[in-house]
Amino acid sequence: MSIRFEQVSKSFGTKHVLKQVSFKVERGEILFILGRSGMGKSVTLKHIIGLLKPDSGGVFIDGQNVSQLDDIQLAKVRQKCGMVFQHPALLDSLTVFENIAFGLRTAQYIQLIGHPLSEDDIRRRVCEKLADVNLKTEILDCLPSDLSYGMQKRVSLARTLAPEPEYLLFDEPTTGLDPITTNAINDLIHDLSRKLQVTSLVVSHDMACALKIADRVLVLDQGKILAHADRSTLKLSEEPLIQDFLAETLALIPPAELDVASIGATAP
Amino acid sequence: MIQFFQDLGATSLFFVRVVRTFFATQGNFQPILGQVAFVSLRSLSTVLFAGLFVGAILVLQLDLILAKYDAELFLGGLNTSTVIREVGPLIISFLLAGKIGAFTAAELGTMRVTEQIDAIECLGTNPIQYLVVPRLFGIMISSLILLFIGLLVSIGGAMAVAWFACGITIPEFTSSIPKFVSIGTFVAALFKALVYGTIVATVSCHRGFIATGGARGVGHAVTQASIFTNLYILFANFGLSHMLTLIDTLTEGLMGGSP
Ligand SMILES: Nc1ncnc2c1ncn2[C@@H]1O[C@H](COP(=O)(O)OP(=O)(O)OP(=O)(O)O)[C@@H](O)[C@H]1O
Ligand SMILES: [Mg+2]
Repeated sequence: MSIRFEQVSKSFGTKHVLKQVSFKVERGEILFILGRSGMGKSVTLKHIIGLLKPDSGGVFIDGQNVSQLDDIQLAKVRQKCGMVFQHPALLDSLTVFENIAFGLRTAQYIQLIGHPLSEDDIRRRVCEKLADVNLKTEILDCLPSDLSYGMQKRVSLARTLAPEPEYLLFDEPTTGLDPITTNAINDLIHDLSRKLQVTSLVVSHDMACALKIADRVLVLDQGKILAHADRSTLKLSEEPLIQDFLAETLALIPPAELDVASIGATAP
Repeated sequence: MIQFFQDLGATSLFFVRVVRTFFATQGNFQPILGQVAFVSLRSLSTVLFAGLFVGAILVLQLDLILAKYDAELFLGGLNTSTVIREVGPLIISFLLAGKIGAFTAAELGTMRVTEQIDAIECLGTNPIQYLVVPRLFGIMISSLILLFIGLLVSIGGAMAVAWFACGITIPEFTSSIPKFVSIGTFVAALFKALVYGTIVATVSCHRGFIATGGARGVGHAVTQASIFTNLYILFANFGLSHMLTLIDTLTEGLMGGSP
Protein backbone atom coordinates (compact mmCIF):
# COMPACT_ATOMS: atom_id res chain seq x y z
CA MET A 1 0.00 0.00 0.00
CA SER A 2 2.26 2.75 -1.16
CA ILE A 3 3.16 5.14 -3.91
CA ARG A 4 6.70 4.87 -5.20
CA PHE A 5 8.62 6.96 -7.72
CA GLU A 6 11.67 5.22 -9.17
CA GLN A 7 14.17 7.27 -11.13
CA VAL A 8 11.40 9.20 -12.86
CA SER A 9 12.54 11.64 -15.53
CA LYS A 10 10.28 13.85 -17.56
CA SER A 11 11.00 16.56 -20.09
CA PHE A 12 8.78 18.77 -22.20
CA GLY A 13 10.78 19.54 -25.32
CA THR A 14 14.12 20.71 -24.06
CA LYS A 15 12.84 21.53 -20.60
CA HIS A 16 13.84 18.86 -18.10
CA VAL A 17 11.20 19.05 -15.42
CA LEU A 18 11.96 15.92 -13.41
CA LYS A 19 15.43 14.39 -13.26
CA GLN A 20 15.56 10.88 -11.85
CA VAL A 21 13.23 11.55 -8.99
CA SER A 22 12.74 8.73 -6.49
CA PHE A 23 10.68 8.72 -3.32
CA LYS A 24 8.11 6.67 -1.52
CA VAL A 25 4.93 7.39 0.43
CA GLU A 26 3.58 4.83 2.87
CA ARG A 27 -0.03 4.14 3.73
CA GLY A 28 -1.64 6.74 5.94
CA GLU A 29 1.23 9.14 5.53
CA ILE A 30 0.89 12.81 4.69
CA LEU A 31 3.59 13.96 2.32
CA PHE A 32 3.92 17.63 1.52
CA ILE A 33 5.62 18.52 -1.74
CA LEU A 34 7.11 22.00 -1.63
CA GLY A 35 9.02 23.92 -4.22
CA ARG A 36 9.11 27.12 -6.16
CA SER A 37 6.61 27.76 -8.91
CA GLY A 38 7.25 25.82 -12.13
CA MET A 39 9.45 23.21 -10.49
CA GLY A 40 7.31 20.26 -11.49
CA LYS A 41 5.05 19.73 -8.50
CA SER A 42 1.86 19.43 -10.54
CA VAL A 43 3.72 17.32 -13.08
CA THR A 44 4.74 14.95 -10.27
CA LEU A 45 1.13 14.48 -9.16
CA LYS A 46 -0.11 13.93 -12.71
CA HIS A 47 2.33 11.06 -13.11
CA ILE A 48 0.67 9.18 -10.27
CA ILE A 49 -2.70 8.96 -12.00
CA GLY A 50 -1.21 8.39 -15.41
CA LEU A 51 -2.19 11.73 -16.92
CA LEU A 52 1.49 12.08 -17.79
CA LYS A 53 3.88 9.25 -18.54
CA PRO A 54 7.53 9.32 -17.46
CA ASP A 55 10.21 9.43 -20.17
CA SER A 56 12.14 6.94 -18.09
CA GLY A 57 11.73 5.31 -14.71
CA GLY A 58 8.44 4.22 -13.23
CA VAL A 59 5.67 5.25 -10.89
CA PHE A 60 4.26 2.44 -8.79
CA ILE A 61 0.98 2.31 -6.91
CA ASP A 62 0.59 -0.75 -4.73
CA GLY A 63 3.39 -2.33 -6.75
CA GLN A 64 1.77 -1.70 -10.16
CA ASN A 65 3.64 0.38 -12.70
CA VAL A 66 1.12 3.03 -13.69
CA SER A 67 2.53 3.71 -17.14
CA GLN A 68 2.29 0.05 -18.14
CA LEU A 69 -1.35 -0.51 -17.28
CA ASP A 70 -4.07 -0.96 -19.87
CA ASP A 71 -7.12 1.29 -19.81
CA ILE A 72 -9.16 -0.91 -17.50
CA GLN A 73 -6.40 -1.36 -14.95
CA LEU A 74 -5.60 2.33 -15.11
CA ALA A 75 -9.23 3.14 -14.42
CA LYS A 76 -9.06 0.90 -11.33
CA VAL A 77 -5.98 2.71 -10.09
CA ARG A 78 -7.63 6.07 -10.69
CA GLN A 79 -10.62 4.88 -8.70
CA LYS A 80 -8.30 4.47 -5.72
CA CYS A 81 -6.85 7.93 -6.18
CA GLY A 82 -8.64 11.20 -5.78
CA MET A 83 -7.02 14.17 -7.39
CA VAL A 84 -7.76 17.77 -6.49
CA PHE A 85 -6.54 19.85 -9.39
CA GLN A 86 -4.73 23.12 -8.96
CA HIS A 87 -7.59 24.84 -10.79
CA PRO A 88 -11.08 23.89 -9.64
CA ALA A 89 -11.79 22.04 -12.93
CA LEU A 90 -15.50 21.77 -12.15
CA LEU A 91 -17.76 20.75 -15.02
CA ASP A 92 -19.31 24.08 -15.80
CA SER A 93 -22.49 22.74 -17.33
CA LEU A 94 -23.41 20.82 -14.16
CA THR A 95 -24.65 22.17 -10.84
CA VAL A 96 -22.58 21.97 -7.70
CA PHE A 97 -24.64 18.98 -6.59
CA GLU A 98 -24.13 17.14 -9.87
CA ASN A 99 -20.43 17.93 -9.80
CA ILE A 100 -19.94 16.46 -6.35
CA ALA A 101 -22.16 13.48 -7.15
CA PHE A 102 -20.32 12.84 -10.43
CA GLY A 103 -17.88 10.34 -9.00
CA LEU A 104 -20.67 8.48 -7.18
CA ARG A 105 -22.62 7.79 -10.35
CA THR A 106 -19.84 6.35 -12.52
CA ALA A 107 -19.96 2.72 -13.61
CA GLN A 108 -16.52 2.33 -12.00
CA TYR A 109 -17.73 3.35 -8.59
CA ILE A 110 -20.90 1.28 -8.78
CA GLN A 111 -18.79 -1.72 -9.66
CA LEU A 112 -16.46 -1.02 -6.77
CA ILE A 113 -19.14 -0.91 -4.09
CA GLY A 114 -21.26 -3.55 -5.79
CA HIS A 115 -24.52 -1.62 -6.15
CA PRO A 116 -25.64 1.84 -7.22
CA LEU A 117 -26.19 4.33 -4.42
CA SER A 118 -29.76 5.49 -3.95
CA GLU A 119 -30.52 9.14 -4.62
CA ASP A 120 -30.98 9.66 -0.88
CA ASP A 121 -27.58 8.19 -0.12
CA ILE A 122 -26.01 10.34 -2.82
CA ARG A 123 -27.63 13.48 -1.42
CA ARG A 124 -26.54 12.61 2.08
CA ARG A 125 -22.97 11.97 0.98
CA VAL A 126 -22.84 15.19 -1.05
CA CYS A 127 -24.09 17.25 1.90
CA GLU A 128 -21.64 15.58 4.24
CA LYS A 129 -18.67 16.38 1.99
CA LEU A 130 -19.92 19.89 1.47
CA ALA A 131 -19.96 20.39 5.23
CA ASP A 132 -16.44 18.95 5.45
CA VAL A 133 -15.16 21.75 3.26
CA ASN A 134 -17.09 24.44 5.16
CA LEU A 135 -19.73 25.14 2.55
CA LYS A 136 -23.47 25.51 2.99
CA THR A 137 -26.04 23.38 1.22
CA GLU A 138 -27.62 26.52 -0.25
CA ILE A 139 -25.15 26.46 -3.10
CA LEU A 140 -26.03 22.93 -4.24
CA ASP A 141 -28.14 24.16 -7.14
CA CYS A 142 -25.74 26.88 -8.27
CA LEU A 143 -23.62 26.54 -11.34
CA PRO A 144 -19.87 26.70 -10.72
CA SER A 145 -19.68 30.03 -12.56
CA ASP A 146 -21.90 31.58 -9.86
CA LEU A 147 -19.36 30.81 -7.14
CA SER A 148 -16.22 32.59 -6.07
CA TYR A 149 -12.86 31.00 -6.82
CA GLY A 150 -12.35 29.86 -3.27
CA MET A 151 -15.79 28.26 -3.18
CA GLN A 152 -15.18 26.52 -6.49
CA LYS A 153 -11.98 25.17 -5.08
CA ARG A 154 -13.74 23.73 -2.09
CA VAL A 155 -16.47 22.20 -4.24
CA SER A 156 -13.74 20.59 -6.27
CA LEU A 157 -12.28 19.25 -3.04
CA ALA A 158 -15.67 17.87 -2.01
CA ARG A 159 -16.05 16.24 -5.42
CA THR A 160 -12.77 14.42 -4.98
CA LEU A 161 -13.60 13.35 -1.43
CA ALA A 162 -17.07 12.04 -2.28
CA PRO A 163 -16.09 8.56 -3.55
CA GLU A 164 -13.76 8.25 -0.53
CA PRO A 165 -10.55 7.25 -2.29
CA GLU A 166 -7.60 5.61 -0.54
CA TYR A 167 -5.06 8.03 -1.94
CA LEU A 168 -5.61 11.73 -2.08
CA LEU A 169 -3.53 13.94 -4.30
CA PHE A 170 -3.96 17.62 -3.54
CA ASP A 171 -2.57 20.24 -5.86
CA GLU A 172 -2.42 23.38 -3.76
CA PRO A 173 -5.73 22.75 -1.97
CA THR A 174 -5.58 25.91 0.09
CA THR A 175 -3.97 28.44 -2.22
CA GLY A 176 -6.29 31.42 -2.50
CA LEU A 177 -8.41 30.51 0.53
CA ASP A 178 -8.83 32.52 3.70
CA PRO A 179 -6.81 31.43 6.75
CA ILE A 180 -9.82 29.98 8.57
CA THR A 181 -10.85 27.77 5.70
CA THR A 182 -7.22 26.88 5.13
CA ASN A 183 -7.01 25.62 8.67
CA ALA A 184 -10.23 23.67 8.32
CA ILE A 185 -8.97 21.95 5.21
CA ASN A 186 -5.64 21.14 6.76
CA ASP A 187 -7.46 19.61 9.71
CA LEU A 188 -9.57 17.63 7.29
CA ILE A 189 -6.51 16.22 5.54
CA HIS A 190 -5.03 15.39 8.91
CA ASP A 191 -8.21 13.63 10.09
CA LEU A 192 -8.56 11.63 6.90
CA SER A 193 -5.09 10.28 7.26
CA ARG A 194 -5.34 9.54 10.97
CA LYS A 195 -8.86 8.11 11.10
CA LEU A 196 -9.25 6.46 7.72
CA GLN A 197 -5.62 5.73 6.92
CA VAL A 198 -5.89 7.78 3.75
CA THR A 199 -2.56 8.50 2.13
CA SER A 200 -2.21 12.13 1.15
CA LEU A 201 0.19 13.91 -1.14
CA VAL A 202 -0.18 17.63 -0.78
CA VAL A 203 1.45 20.07 -3.15
CA SER A 204 1.75 23.38 -1.40
CA HIS A 205 3.71 26.57 -1.00
CA ASP A 206 2.74 26.73 2.59
CA MET A 207 5.60 25.70 4.83
CA ALA A 208 3.58 26.56 7.92
CA CYS A 209 0.92 23.98 7.06
CA ALA A 210 3.58 21.49 6.16
CA LEU A 211 5.20 21.93 9.55
CA LYS A 212 1.84 21.44 11.22
CA ILE A 213 0.44 18.33 9.60
CA ALA A 214 3.01 16.70 7.31
CA ASP A 215 4.62 13.43 8.27
CA ARG A 216 7.27 14.06 5.70
CA VAL A 217 8.17 16.94 3.46
CA LEU A 218 9.67 16.70 0.03
CA VAL A 219 11.30 19.74 -1.51
CA LEU A 220 11.65 19.81 -5.28
CA ASP A 221 14.03 22.13 -7.03
CA GLN A 222 15.49 22.14 -10.54
CA GLY A 223 14.02 18.72 -11.20
CA LYS A 224 15.70 17.11 -8.23
CA ILE A 225 14.73 16.30 -4.69
CA LEU A 226 16.41 18.79 -2.41
CA ALA A 227 15.13 17.21 0.74
CA HIS A 228 12.87 14.38 1.79
CA ALA A 229 12.62 14.45 5.52
CA ASP A 230 10.30 14.53 8.46
CA ARG A 231 9.47 17.84 10.06
CA SER A 232 12.15 18.10 12.66
CA THR A 233 14.92 16.98 10.32
CA LEU A 234 13.76 19.49 7.74
CA LYS A 235 14.09 22.31 10.19
CA LEU A 236 17.75 21.45 10.65
CA SER A 237 18.48 21.43 6.93
CA GLU A 238 21.32 23.60 5.72
CA GLU A 239 20.00 24.02 2.16
CA PRO A 240 19.61 27.73 1.39
CA LEU A 241 16.24 27.25 -0.34
CA ILE A 242 14.79 25.39 2.61
CA GLN A 243 16.24 28.00 4.93
CA ASP A 244 14.45 30.64 2.88
CA PHE A 245 11.18 28.76 3.05
CA LEU A 246 11.54 28.35 6.79
CA ALA A 247 12.47 31.96 7.25
CA GLU A 248 9.36 33.09 5.39
CA THR A 249 7.24 30.89 7.59
CA LEU A 250 8.82 32.04 10.80
CA ALA A 251 8.32 35.64 9.84
CA LEU A 252 4.59 35.04 9.53
CA ILE A 253 3.86 32.71 12.41
CA PRO A 254 4.36 33.46 16.07
CA PRO A 255 7.07 31.18 17.38
CA ALA A 256 4.75 29.82 20.03
CA GLU A 257 2.88 27.86 17.39
CA LEU A 258 6.00 26.12 16.21
CA ASP A 259 8.38 23.82 17.93
CA VAL A 260 10.67 26.60 19.13
CA ALA A 261 13.42 24.48 20.54
CA SER A 262 14.36 22.83 17.27
CA ILE A 263 14.15 25.87 15.03
CA GLY A 264 15.55 28.45 17.36
CA ALA A 265 18.92 28.04 15.68
CA THR A 266 17.59 28.83 12.19
CA ALA A 267 15.35 31.74 13.02
CA PRO A 268 16.43 35.02 11.50
CA MET B 1 2.42 18.73 -46.87
CA ILE B 2 3.62 16.02 -44.52
CA GLN B 3 2.01 18.02 -41.74
CA PHE B 4 -1.25 17.95 -43.66
CA PHE B 5 -1.29 14.18 -43.85
CA GLN B 6 -0.25 13.87 -40.23
CA ASP B 7 -3.21 16.04 -39.23
CA LEU B 8 -5.54 14.07 -41.44
CA GLY B 9 -4.23 10.83 -39.97
CA ALA B 10 -4.57 12.01 -36.39
CA THR B 11 -8.11 13.19 -37.00
CA SER B 12 -9.07 9.90 -38.66
CA LEU B 13 -7.58 7.93 -35.80
CA PHE B 14 -9.55 10.07 -33.38
CA PHE B 15 -12.74 9.23 -35.27
CA VAL B 16 -11.95 5.52 -35.09
CA ARG B 17 -11.28 5.85 -31.37
CA VAL B 18 -14.61 7.56 -30.76
CA VAL B 19 -16.54 4.97 -32.76
CA ARG B 20 -14.76 2.15 -30.94
CA THR B 21 -15.57 3.74 -27.59
CA PHE B 22 -19.18 4.04 -28.64
CA PHE B 23 -19.44 0.35 -29.41
CA ALA B 24 -17.31 -0.75 -26.48
CA THR B 25 -19.73 0.96 -24.12
CA GLN B 26 -22.78 -0.52 -25.84
CA GLY B 27 -23.90 2.91 -26.94
CA ASN B 28 -26.01 5.01 -24.67
CA PHE B 29 -28.39 6.95 -26.88
CA GLN B 30 -29.89 9.34 -24.37
CA PRO B 31 -27.05 11.89 -24.42
CA ILE B 32 -26.76 11.61 -28.19
CA LEU B 33 -30.42 12.49 -28.61
CA GLY B 34 -29.93 15.40 -26.26
CA GLN B 35 -27.13 16.70 -28.45
CA VAL B 36 -29.17 16.15 -31.62
CA ALA B 37 -31.92 18.31 -30.18
CA PHE B 38 -29.44 20.92 -29.01
CA VAL B 39 -27.55 21.14 -32.29
CA SER B 40 -30.65 21.06 -34.48
CA LEU B 41 -32.49 23.72 -32.53
CA ARG B 42 -29.47 25.97 -32.35
CA SER B 43 -28.89 25.79 -36.09
CA LEU B 44 -32.50 25.77 -37.17
CA SER B 45 -32.94 29.50 -37.67
CA THR B 46 -29.74 29.82 -39.68
CA VAL B 47 -30.63 26.83 -41.81
CA LEU B 48 -34.12 28.14 -42.51
CA PHE B 49 -32.79 31.54 -43.43
CA ALA B 50 -29.95 30.27 -45.59
CA GLY B 51 -32.09 27.59 -47.22
CA LEU B 52 -34.71 30.08 -48.24
CA PHE B 53 -32.25 32.51 -49.77
CA VAL B 54 -30.08 29.93 -51.47
CA GLY B 55 -33.14 28.50 -53.18
CA ALA B 56 -34.31 31.95 -54.16
CA ILE B 57 -30.97 33.17 -55.48
CA LEU B 58 -30.32 30.01 -57.40
CA VAL B 59 -33.68 30.12 -59.11
CA LEU B 60 -33.08 33.69 -60.28
CA GLN B 61 -29.68 32.79 -61.66
CA LEU B 62 -30.88 29.70 -63.41
CA ASP B 63 -33.86 31.56 -64.85
CA LEU B 64 -31.53 34.12 -66.35
CA ILE B 65 -29.64 31.43 -68.21
CA LEU B 66 -32.56 29.21 -69.11
CA ALA B 67 -34.58 32.14 -70.43
CA LYS B 68 -31.89 32.70 -73.05
CA TYR B 69 -32.41 29.23 -74.44
CA ASP B 70 -36.15 29.31 -73.98
CA ALA B 71 -35.83 26.38 -71.63
CA GLU B 72 -37.62 27.81 -68.58
CA LEU B 73 -39.68 24.67 -68.43
CA PHE B 74 -36.70 22.93 -66.90
CA LEU B 75 -36.28 25.53 -64.18
CA GLY B 76 -37.95 23.51 -61.44
CA GLY B 77 -36.06 20.34 -62.12
CA LEU B 78 -32.71 21.98 -62.60
CA ASN B 79 -33.05 24.10 -59.52
CA THR B 80 -34.19 21.25 -57.33
CA SER B 81 -31.50 18.95 -58.61
CA THR B 82 -28.75 21.48 -58.04
CA VAL B 83 -29.96 22.28 -54.56
CA ILE B 84 -30.21 18.65 -53.56
CA ARG B 85 -27.02 17.48 -55.19
CA GLU B 86 -24.51 20.17 -54.51
CA VAL B 87 -25.64 23.32 -52.84
CA GLY B 88 -27.74 21.88 -50.05
CA PRO B 89 -25.26 19.54 -48.44
CA LEU B 90 -22.42 22.01 -48.88
CA ILE B 91 -24.24 25.01 -47.43
CA ILE B 92 -25.57 23.01 -44.51
CA SER B 93 -22.15 21.71 -43.66
CA PHE B 94 -20.58 25.16 -43.84
CA LEU B 95 -23.30 26.52 -41.60
CA LEU B 96 -22.77 23.65 -39.18
CA ALA B 97 -19.03 24.22 -39.23
CA GLY B 98 -19.43 27.90 -38.47
CA LYS B 99 -22.06 27.57 -35.82
CA ILE B 100 -21.71 24.21 -34.11
CA GLY B 101 -18.18 23.23 -35.13
CA ALA B 102 -16.65 26.35 -33.66
CA PHE B 103 -18.85 26.06 -30.57
CA THR B 104 -17.81 22.44 -30.00
CA ALA B 105 -14.11 23.08 -30.55
CA ALA B 106 -14.22 26.00 -28.13
CA GLU B 107 -16.25 24.10 -25.55
CA LEU B 108 -14.07 20.99 -25.55
CA GLY B 109 -10.92 23.10 -25.81
CA THR B 110 -11.89 25.09 -22.75
CA MET B 111 -12.70 21.90 -20.87
CA ARG B 112 -9.28 20.56 -21.84
CA VAL B 113 -7.23 23.57 -20.81
CA THR B 114 -9.11 24.04 -17.54
CA GLU B 115 -8.39 20.39 -16.72
CA GLN B 116 -12.09 19.48 -16.71
CA ILE B 117 -11.35 16.61 -19.07
CA ASP B 118 -8.56 15.36 -16.81
CA ALA B 119 -10.92 15.63 -13.86
CA ILE B 120 -13.57 13.55 -15.62
CA GLU B 121 -10.95 10.95 -16.36
CA CYS B 122 -9.79 10.88 -12.75
CA LEU B 123 -13.34 10.45 -11.50
CA GLY B 124 -13.52 7.17 -13.39
CA THR B 125 -15.33 8.21 -16.55
CA ASN B 126 -14.02 8.01 -20.06
CA PRO B 127 -14.13 11.58 -21.40
CA ILE B 128 -14.46 10.32 -24.98
CA GLN B 129 -17.56 8.43 -24.01
CA TYR B 130 -18.95 11.17 -21.79
CA LEU B 131 -18.13 14.24 -23.86
CA VAL B 132 -17.14 13.34 -27.39
CA VAL B 133 -19.47 10.50 -28.36
CA PRO B 134 -22.69 12.50 -27.83
CA ARG B 135 -21.30 15.58 -29.57
CA LEU B 136 -19.83 13.75 -32.51
CA PHE B 137 -22.84 11.57 -33.26
CA GLY B 138 -25.15 14.42 -32.36
CA ILE B 139 -23.63 16.62 -35.05
CA MET B 140 -23.64 13.80 -37.60
CA ILE B 141 -27.31 13.01 -37.10
CA SER B 142 -28.26 16.67 -36.95
CA SER B 143 -26.60 17.29 -40.29
CA LEU B 144 -29.08 14.88 -41.86
CA ILE B 145 -32.07 16.43 -40.14
CA LEU B 146 -30.94 19.93 -41.01
CA LEU B 147 -30.28 18.93 -44.60
CA PHE B 148 -33.81 17.64 -44.90
CA ILE B 149 -35.29 20.82 -43.45
CA GLY B 150 -32.95 22.99 -45.49
CA LEU B 151 -33.90 21.27 -48.72
CA LEU B 152 -37.60 21.60 -48.09
CA VAL B 153 -37.32 25.29 -47.30
CA SER B 154 -35.03 26.04 -50.16
CA ILE B 155 -37.19 24.25 -52.73
CA GLY B 156 -40.22 25.99 -51.26
CA GLY B 157 -38.43 29.31 -51.51
CA ALA B 158 -37.42 28.59 -55.07
CA MET B 159 -41.00 27.79 -56.02
CA ALA B 160 -42.25 31.01 -54.55
CA VAL B 161 -39.61 33.11 -56.27
CA ALA B 162 -40.14 31.28 -59.55
CA TRP B 163 -43.79 32.09 -59.34
CA PHE B 164 -43.49 35.75 -58.39
CA ALA B 165 -40.35 36.75 -60.26
CA CYS B 166 -40.19 34.44 -63.26
CA GLY B 167 -43.84 33.75 -63.88
CA ILE B 168 -43.55 30.01 -63.54
CA THR B 169 -46.47 28.45 -61.76
CA ILE B 170 -46.03 25.81 -59.12
CA PRO B 171 -47.35 22.96 -61.29
CA GLU B 172 -44.97 24.01 -64.05
CA PHE B 173 -42.16 24.07 -61.55
CA THR B 174 -42.88 20.69 -60.07
CA SER B 175 -43.64 18.95 -63.34
CA SER B 176 -40.02 19.05 -64.43
CA ILE B 177 -38.65 17.86 -61.11
CA PRO B 178 -38.97 14.12 -61.78
CA LYS B 179 -36.92 14.54 -64.95
CA PHE B 180 -33.92 15.62 -62.94
CA VAL B 181 -34.43 14.19 -59.50
CA SER B 182 -34.84 10.62 -58.39
CA ILE B 183 -34.59 8.76 -55.12
CA GLY B 184 -30.94 8.24 -56.00
CA THR B 185 -30.34 11.98 -56.04
CA PHE B 186 -31.79 12.23 -52.62
CA VAL B 187 -29.77 9.34 -51.26
CA ALA B 188 -26.66 10.90 -52.73
CA ALA B 189 -27.45 14.17 -50.97
CA LEU B 190 -27.98 12.42 -47.66
CA PHE B 191 -24.74 10.54 -48.11
CA LYS B 192 -22.88 13.76 -48.82
CA ALA B 193 -24.44 15.50 -45.84
CA LEU B 194 -23.45 12.59 -43.65
CA VAL B 195 -19.86 12.70 -44.85
CA TYR B 196 -19.61 16.46 -44.39
CA GLY B 197 -21.33 16.25 -41.02
CA THR B 198 -18.81 13.64 -39.97
CA ILE B 199 -15.98 15.92 -41.06
CA VAL B 200 -17.37 18.89 -39.12
CA ALA B 201 -17.99 16.76 -36.04
CA THR B 202 -14.70 14.91 -36.04
CA VAL B 203 -12.43 17.85 -36.80
CA SER B 204 -14.01 20.16 -34.26
CA CYS B 205 -14.18 17.55 -31.49
CA HIS B 206 -10.61 16.47 -32.20
CA ARG B 207 -9.16 20.00 -32.26
CA GLY B 208 -10.96 20.90 -29.07
CA PHE B 209 -10.01 17.67 -27.36
CA ILE B 210 -6.28 18.08 -27.98
CA ALA B 211 -6.10 21.82 -27.27
CA THR B 212 -3.22 22.95 -25.06
CA GLY B 213 -2.11 26.16 -23.44
CA GLY B 214 -4.82 28.36 -21.99
CA ALA B 215 -7.10 30.78 -23.79
CA ARG B 216 -4.70 31.11 -26.70
CA GLY B 217 -4.79 27.35 -27.11
CA VAL B 218 -8.57 27.39 -27.29
CA GLY B 219 -8.48 30.16 -29.89
CA HIS B 220 -5.96 28.20 -31.89
CA ALA B 221 -8.10 25.07 -31.69
CA VAL B 222 -11.16 26.92 -32.98
CA THR B 223 -9.25 28.48 -35.87
CA GLN B 224 -7.64 25.21 -36.82
CA ALA B 225 -10.97 23.44 -36.60
CA SER B 226 -12.64 25.85 -38.99
CA ILE B 227 -9.75 25.92 -41.46
CA PHE B 228 -9.42 22.17 -41.62
CA THR B 229 -13.15 21.51 -41.69
CA ASN B 230 -13.56 23.74 -44.72
CA LEU B 231 -10.52 22.27 -46.41
CA TYR B 232 -11.59 18.68 -45.87
CA ILE B 233 -15.16 19.41 -46.95
CA LEU B 234 -13.97 20.93 -50.21
CA PHE B 235 -11.76 17.94 -50.93
CA ALA B 236 -14.52 15.54 -49.98
CA ASN B 237 -16.98 17.46 -52.13
CA PHE B 238 -14.72 17.15 -55.13
CA GLY B 239 -14.17 13.46 -54.57
CA LEU B 240 -17.78 12.64 -53.77
CA SER B 241 -19.29 14.57 -56.67
CA HIS B 242 -17.07 12.66 -59.04
CA MET B 243 -17.82 9.37 -57.39
CA LEU B 244 -21.57 9.90 -57.18
CA THR B 245 -21.79 11.14 -60.76
CA LEU B 246 -20.00 8.04 -61.86
CA ILE B 247 -22.38 5.82 -59.95
CA ASP B 248 -25.28 7.82 -61.31
CA THR B 249 -24.26 7.44 -64.92
CA LEU B 250 -23.62 3.78 -64.44
CA THR B 251 -27.00 3.07 -62.91
CA GLU B 252 -29.39 5.55 -64.40
CA GLY B 253 -28.14 6.37 -67.83
CA LEU B 254 -28.50 9.74 -69.43
CA MET B 255 -30.80 11.77 -67.24
CA GLY B 256 -28.82 11.13 -64.08
CA GLY B 257 -25.81 13.19 -65.23
CA SER B 258 -24.56 15.92 -62.98
CA PRO B 259 -25.96 19.36 -63.82
N1 LIG C 1 1.61 19.60 -20.57
C1 LIG C 1 2.75 20.33 -20.55
N2 LIG C 1 3.38 20.62 -21.69
C2 LIG C 1 4.53 21.33 -21.68
N3 LIG C 1 5.12 21.79 -20.58
C3 LIG C 1 4.54 21.53 -19.41
C4 LIG C 1 3.32 20.78 -19.32
N4 LIG C 1 2.98 20.68 -18.03
C5 LIG C 1 3.93 21.32 -17.34
N5 LIG C 1 4.87 21.84 -18.15
C6 LIG C 1 6.07 22.57 -17.73
O1 LIG C 1 6.64 21.88 -16.66
C7 LIG C 1 7.13 22.77 -15.68
C8 LIG C 1 6.59 22.38 -14.32
O2 LIG C 1 5.19 22.61 -14.31
P1 LIG C 1 4.30 22.35 -13.04
O3 LIG C 1 2.91 22.68 -13.44
O4 LIG C 1 4.54 20.99 -12.51
O5 LIG C 1 4.83 23.43 -12.02
P2 LIG C 1 4.43 23.60 -10.51
O6 LIG C 1 5.60 23.19 -9.69
O7 LIG C 1 3.14 22.90 -10.25
O8 LIG C 1 4.25 25.16 -10.41
P3 LIG C 1 3.07 26.01 -9.71
O9 LIG C 1 3.44 26.13 -8.28
O10 LIG C 1 3.15 27.33 -10.40
O11 LIG C 1 1.80 25.30 -9.94
C9 LIG C 1 6.70 24.14 -16.11
O12 LIG C 1 7.86 24.81 -16.58
C10 LIG C 1 5.73 23.94 -17.21
O13 LIG C 1 5.93 24.90 -18.20
MG1 LIG D 1 1.24 23.42 -10.06
